[in-house]
Amino acid sequence: MQARKKRSRVSQMALYAYAIIDSNSKIEGSISGLEGACVYNIPYRDIGVAVSELNEQIQNINQEHILKHEEVVEKLMQTFTVLPMRFSTQFSQEKDLLLMMQEYYGDFRENLDKLRNKVEFGIKIIWSAETIKNRIIEASKKCHANVAPATLDNSPENPMRNTDHRSRDHISNGARIFVKEKFEKYKIDKEFQDEADRCIALLDDFFSRFAAEKKLEKLKSDNLLLSAYYLVEKEKQGDFKEAFERAKNTPGDLKYLFSGPWPPYNFVVLTKKPDIFTPLEILKTMGNTSF
Amino acid sequence: MNINRIVETDSPQDFIEEIEKIQNALPKRIDANPKNVEKGLAKLVLTLIELIRKLMEKQAMRRIDAGSLTEEEIERVGETLMKLENKMQELKGVFGLKDEELNINLGPLGDLM
Repeated sequence: MQARKKRSRVSQMALYAYAIIDSNSKIEGSISGLEGACVYNIPYRDIGVAVSELNEQIQNINQEHILKHEEVVEKLMQTFTVLPMRFSTQFSQEKDLLLMMQEYYGDFRENLDKLRNKVEFGIKIIWSAETIKNRIIEASKKCHANVAPATLDNSPENPMRNTDHRSRDHISNGARIFVKEKFEKYKIDKEFQDEADRCIALLDDFFSRFAAEKKLEKLKSDNLLLSAYYLVEKEKQGDFKEAFERAKNTPGDLKYLFSGPWPPYNFVVLTKKPDIFTPLEILKTMGNTSF
Repeated sequence: MNINRIVETDSPQDFIEEIEKIQNALPKRIDANPKNVEKGLAKLVLTLIELIRKLMEKQAMRRIDAGSLTEEEIERVGETLMKLENKMQELKGVFGLKDEELNINLGPLGDLM
């Protein structure tokens, strides 16, 4: 706590929070935070919040702030289990921060236990959507009868074509062609999605055997086949990386991006506000509300 | 533990382009000012209509695929969807909006347009 100033006398100052850590002790060594201020621990029960002091609250966070925030979290990660906070989480008073700790202590404790000795890796995989779609179109041309149901085919060769003249009076030929085209497009899209599922299942098989948890995002764009986050125990990092190398060296046209180890940004789960906020968003909301 | 952060790829440019594409799916700010408020509102409303129209269309295709529609029902659906699409084109023309301006990223469902 040697770095803490007498905050009560400087009312406009703020506390910038980097991460919740699994320790209530002093942070050994010197970690420099935003504005060059020293990062220290504010303990709450058996855990703590790594913070540094700001002369005034940061209104517009810039790239420099983000990089510094990330650097601090990375340094903390070398010694502690961390729950990284959202960029720009700030508190006007220490008591606000302690109120937040009191409110969410149970969740923080649970997440710290779950994430102990684990790190996050990111994997992104690109495929050529155009090539895949062309392949599907070619295949569908070869077995055209399977693409459109017989009811959409009004050619004279089709035994199921509509020969009821009363209803045919109502039929717009344009509408028939329209729905046929839409249906063909739908089938191609569906096959594209199915192909993505098959491909992701094969790829995920390489990685998930060394992961404790995973989050997979399919086709965030047509070409971005997979954005995946894997939570990996620290001692399995080597195995995980090897699995990635094996997948990457498998013949094919896929392009790979591997990143990590990261603090486990994607695996912090709060039970109090499930599916609404990430914990970091909650903290940000609270941090921005000067209570 | 010594942490050596790695970002490793043989195709950095491809990944930069794809990530930018995702990030640009939604405008960073809503362009609202007195001069274009009508167009802005029309854009918002038409985007929502387009979303609903696409959902209807997808549901109809699912039902055709499952074989749960009669031939007459398929034709009625086709006619309705066609008229809706034509009407949307007309409205887009009235407000001077292009297809890509009504696009929104629907996360795992992909882009609307």
